[in-house]
Amino acid sequence: MSEPLLQVNAVTKTFGGLHAVFQVSFQMNSGEIIGLIGPNGAGKTTLFNVISGFYAPNKGQIHFKGQDISGKPPYKLAVLGIGRTFQVVKPFAGLTVLENVIIASFAKHPKRRQAEQHAWKILETTGLADRANAQASSLTLAGRKRLEVSKALALEPTLLLLDEVVAGLNPTEADRTIELILSLRNMGITILIVEHIMRVIMNISDRVVVLNFGQKIAEGIPRDVAMDSGVIQAYLGEAPL
Amino acid sequence: MELLPQAMIDGFLIGGIYITIAIGFSLAYGVMHIIDFAVGEWIMLGAFLGYYLNLWTALDPFFLLPAIFLVFALIGYLVQPLVYRVISGKKGNPVLMGLVFTFGLALMFRGLALTSFGFYSHSIPSTISQNSYFLNMSGVFITIPYVRLAGLLYALAITLVLHFVLKKTNFGRAVRALAQHREASGLMGINAKRISSYVYGIYVGLSAMTGVIIGCIFTINAQMGGDYTVLAFFIVVLAGMGYLAGVPWAAFLLGLVQSFFLIYLNPSYTLMAVFVILFTILLISPKGLFGRGV
Amino acid sequence: MSRKYLLLILAFGILLAVPSVIQDTFFLRIITEAILWIGLAISWDVLAGYTGYLNFGHGAFFGVGAYTTALLMNLCGCPFFVALPVAGVVAGIVALIAGIPTLRLKGAYFAIATWALARAVQQVALVMDITGGPDGMRLPTYLHPGFFYYLMLGVVAGIFALYWFLLEKAPFGLKVKAIREDDQSAMSLGLNPTKIKLQAFILSAIPAGILGAIYAYWITYIDPASVLGDLVTDQAVVMAVFGGLGTLIGPAIGAIIIFSFKTYFWAYLSNYQVLYLIILGGVIAAGVVFLPNGIWGTISGYLQTRRTLKQEPVVQEKTDKGAHHV
Repeated sequence: MSEPLLQVNAVTKTFGGLHAVFQVSFQMNSGEIIGLIGPNGAGKTTLFNVISGFYAPNKGQIHFKGQDISGKPPYKLAVLGIGRTFQVVKPFAGLTVLENVIIASFAKHPKRRQAEQHAWKILETTGLADRANAQASSLTLAGRKRLEVSKALALEPTLLLLDEVVAGLNPTEADRTIELILSLRNMGITILIVEHIMRVIMNISDRVVVLNFGQKIAEGIPRDVAMDSGVIQAYLGEAPL
Repeated sequence: MELLPQAMIDGFLIGGIYITIAIGFSLAYGVMHIIDFAVGEWIMLGAFLGYYLNLWTALDPFFLLPAIFLVFALIGYLVQPLVYRVISGKKGNPVLMGLVFTFGLALMFRGLALTSFGFYSHSIPSTISQNSYFLNMSGVFITIPYVRLAGLLYALAITLVLHFVLKKTNFGRAVRALAQHREASGLMGINAKRISSYVYGIYVGLSAMTGVIIGCIFTINAQMGGDYTVLAFFIVVLAGMGYLAGVPWAAFLLGLVQSFFLIYLNPSYTLMAVFVILFTILLISPKGLFGRGV
Repeated sequence: MSRKYLLLILAFGILLAVPSVIQDTFFLRIITEAILWIGLAISWDVLAGYTGYLNFGHGAFFGVGAYTTALLMNLCGCPFFVALPVAGVVAGIVALIAGIPTLRLKGAYFAIATWALARAVQQVALVMDITGGPDGMRLPTYLHPGFFYYLMLGVVAGIFALYWFLLEKAPFGLKVKAIREDDQSAMSLGLNPTKIKLQAFILSAIPAGILGAIYAYWITYIDPASVLGDLVTDQAVVMAVFGGLGTLIGPAIGAIIIFSFKTYFWAYLSNYQVLYLIILGGVIAAGVVFLPNGIWGTISGYLQTRRTLKQEPVVQEKTDKGAHHV
């Protein structure tokens, strides 16, 4: 095995004295899908924001493709190959679906024409091609989540961070999105996914990292983690696994 | 060197006035999240009302303050729903539309004032205008005009009252809740619309009263608004946007800068100096001197 | 789409022919100034409408351009066509310096900081000896109304074409709009918001500087009150907001309407010039409340809704068609 794609090394992020993320370490190998789970407020989104460059870690380092990326701004990481979605979707509401994806395509295709061709390809992959010329604000929630993935995908990322892209969808839509995620893995994209719906995480993840109160309390293959007493305790009172 | 204590005292006295300008401005920003471009125009209009009331009634301007506060608080209370309508609109970028709206108000007020009051400068005479307190500190003479001292006392009184209202009353708690968590406070049963109207009324009333004090100390004219808007903004940025506790320090600092330029350098450069300081602060610490702004 | 640009080309053609038809220098002068205002209004809108940052000190760039030209021509005897580009560059540099600390922050900081900038620049011109203080400066006279008409028309048409290409055709336009819509999402997609906003700011300042240069040489006399006064910014803002932000045609329409009104007003009611301020303020305040998308935004929104209704008579999209114009 060569060196890991992403290495998170004792990362701590505090807000006004509160540890949102405390000394979390884990690593991701190329082609893996890792599920990041934990109760509400466990620090999952904060960790996402640290990895994608929206927050600089107070302590610890993050290495991506062997390069120290801690504290680099998001727009540099995007070009380096880290794509992300937002839990609260952020479409460019006043623009069309196609324009949304073209903007993301500029990272690898600076020319307008190439970017547009690339955007069409992405929309076909994600199944939004028939809505390409609609205003982004006219999409349904499922459509917006799909657009969110399309934009991140248009960066041609090596690492994709997905923040609750399934939650809130009806079962049919959810299944389509899960299919999409698995097909992305087949394209060679490494995926870190936060999701509340355990069925999803347990089915598609190769490994699972569990956070509670900002600390990593377990890591392993889904079956083992589900049996872990600490994890069960953390989830007591929440939905059973 | 013998001018130094005088410069510092002057700066301190002027700074007091600026507190009242900036505190209302900051309060309105905290609750409504808009910058009111018309702040200087409220000051100017208040000053002119004070000037004419003094002319007609011959009452000392300091006694007119409560009446001016009431008149302008009412005006602010009535104008606020319009502002609220603009900033809570669904279309486009409401915050920026709010800025454009108050910018339009400022233009209108300035035009109105120029039409009705002309271009001339006036001052508002108070019975204490002519007298000063002389201090002899081992050979160093310091002059403290009574009006300026009264202005500082006025500013301190306003600050204390506002502090008490914000910390101790239900209304104050609601205002602070609104400033911190807009959505959550709505859920807790705080009527954002009504509170905003009160706050805007208070802010407009305070600005107008301060205009009268400025008229007693300096001069007033229909075009004075712009300068005070810049000064109000300067203090609020220096203090950190929405961080009320920083306002007095920033105000005193501005007062000092101004009095030093007045005494040691050319007063024409004051605005430039203010501007350079402003940009330096924004460059080094965008959240104000104390890093506590939003 | 193409019909709209055909109309623009037609308008340009008519404007080209104006001096040969209208011999009256007074009217030529008025049309020249109207074209100047179109240029100022659209250059203001490049930042305001496309990035959502309101520049309340646009007049400073105009004034800086005018003073740069006056200084170069008077002190070094530079020919006008050397001073013209330098005026643009100097305005761009001022924008760069002012933009770096303020464009990282929320729009409200930027709005008042630019306003303070304009006052500070005016103050500089008032106290310096080299600029003549409050007395202003005189430029070499070149009385040739036709020359200025064509120069103004050519420059503003060039500015319009450049903006149209950059904002509606080139990748830059989409990037700028992305930042206006959601800067966090834009950042996660590889766009550096501060850099792009700074580019837009400079792109908006340079033409203002160039227009200031032409104005100075044309009018031959400038002082802090005229080229650095609030009125330059005030008018550009009202024109663009009233016409419709976020488009190039909207501010041009706004400029024509407001300028015609002003000319009429000042010609027939010259004793009440300050009333003009009240009307200007009233127009913009009322416009924000009742026509938040401006004239052009409202018209094109209405046309678009009708077109959609014709295509799909039953299903009407719930989206707000006008939203992206603001």
